[in-house]
Amino acid sequence: MMNASKIISGLERQYITKLMKEGKRIDGRGLLEYREISITPNFSPKAEGSADVFIGKTRVMCGVKYDVGRPYSDNPDKGVCTVMAEFVPIASPLFESGRPGEDAIQLARVVDRGIRHTDCLDYKKLCIEVGKFVYVIFVDNYMMDHYGNLTDTAALAAITALLSAKLPCGKLNEDGEPVWDGTYMNMPINEIPLSITFGKIGDTIFVDPIFAEEMVMEGSIAFAVDEKKQITSIQKYRSATWSIKEILETGKKAVEIADALRAKLNLRQYIPKLE
Amino acid sequence: MPILKGTEEPHDPVCFREDGLRLDGRKKDEGRPFSCEVGVIKNAQGSALVRHGGNQIYAAIYGPREVHPRHMAKQDRGILRVYYRMCTFSVHERKSPAPNRRENEISKVIREALEPVLFLEAYPDSQIEIYIEVVAADGGTRCASTTAASLALADAGIPMKSMLVGIAAGKVQDQVILDLGDKEDKVGQADVPAVVVMKDKSISLLQFDGEMSLDEMDLAFKYILKGADAIYQKQLAALKDKYEKIQKEAELESKDIKKDLPVESAVEAKETKSKESKPEDKTPPAAEAVAEPEPKEA
Repeated sequence: MMNASKIISGLERQYITKLMKEGKRIDGRGLLEYREISITPNFSPKAEGSADVFIGKTRVMCGVKYDVGRPYSDNPDKGVCTVMAEFVPIASPLFESGRPGEDAIQLARVVDRGIRHTDCLDYKKLCIEVGKFVYVIFVDNYMMDHYGNLTDTAALAAITALLSAKLPCGKLNEDGEPVWDGTYMNMPINEIPLSITFGKIGDTIFVDPIFAEEMVMEGSIAFAVDEKKQITSIQKYRSATWSIKEILETGKKAVEIADALRAKLNLRQYIPKLE
Repeated sequence: MPILKGTEEPHDPVCFREDGLRLDGRKKDEGRPFSCEVGVIKNAQGSALVRHGGNQIYAAIYGPREVHPRHMAKQDRGILRVYYRMCTFSVHERKSPAPNRRENEISKVIREALEPVLFLEAYPDSQIEIYIEVVAADGGTRCASTTAASLALADAGIPMKSMLVGIAAGKVQDQVILDLGDKEDKVGQADVPAVVVMKDKSISLLQFDGEMSLDEMDLAFKYILKGADAIYQKQLAALKDKYEKIQKEAELESKDIKKDLPVESAVEAKETKSKESKPEDKTPPAAEAVAEPEPKEA
């Protein structure tokens, strides 16, 4: 039953494809124009940090929680960060309840790699006692309303939730147990990665696809870009092929768009001040 | 391993201040701050956000639509499916994302609370799905979830016999109180979550655990009815508010359309108007006529 609604009408498909050939889009945006973004940091009082992010009508809520756990044996002095994505059926008639499907897992892993390979978190500062106790950070993304480009929305929600988080500082007591020392710390963040996704319909490449465009496009490509204007991760989605020239040119555009967004959003404003 | 020692939630039994009021300054029969909004999830047929105390709960309706898997369909009536879920970050210690037994039970009791006010016989072979997502929990989530689900159903335009309001009463330090907060819920002696069918004030969800005499329970129900009515008024206001907003938007839009009308027809419209009404109406078209030739001069 679900598959039926995944199909877009032939008329709309033709219209979107025709517009794309002329360099136009169904919602009137330019090919390299991003939708409006709105961010509510720390909306959830029970989370260490959280963010409610809209890109256009697409909405992702993200919350950060922690556990105290054991470090991996090959990284005894480093904390752990896990990114998860829940495609909750509240967001779209296409999502079903149940265990995360491959789309949800892929999205979580793409967001995770954006954070992991950017030197985003200083994992050494997430260690309480070498070889024994580290912070295990959970970054849980909930898709709340699906109008296209969940990757960028989730990546933005994840980094904003991390920036807005406050962690209780741990120390060891006399019995060697990890306890709270009464103070808080900010999440140790070095780098702020941003994800910029491009769709491809025919030979036209465009940024920030909306849902109808996602239904039509043959493929998309997501770039994570850090503050040093470096691309730190790439994910190609679906079956479209990209020429090397296209990939490099689109990558260059991703850096430019990420730069402009970064200046506009000023994400570091969401870092809480500690007393 | 759990969170750091020393960051656990306080569990001392004291729930009243020296002046006899509750820790958050409420009287015994006073509910927590409540607000609600409908139409918050744009993809859904109907949706609602309820903020009740520290709870933040979203409910969204999909359907009536085809049943999947097919064998669950009933030929003479529709089925209602409720999914109550808590976000991992909605509670003090992270909840596992997999649904647990508590969530499954609460989904069931909420479904059974909603069924009596719906006309499911009108939807043979179909299902109505209600997805509830608790993004922040603060005691009494099953009640606030039902309040949200009822709003979302009304927002979806699904016919209902009555609105429903969920609210709990309980007993803390030998006193009956209305609308337990998280701490009162955890350290209290008794908890009575209830859902009230507002039309006839009957009860469609009832659970209870703890110690309470029947006299105390009578008082608890008095408090529940009083608290439910206050929330009901806010539900109605939220539903009306959505349509008032739509009306305002439509009015603004029609003004814009009138502005964009071609000049000739605007003049025509004004002329017919001026014939009917006072001559003062003539001034605006005159001003327009002066404004018109300006581009030629430039």
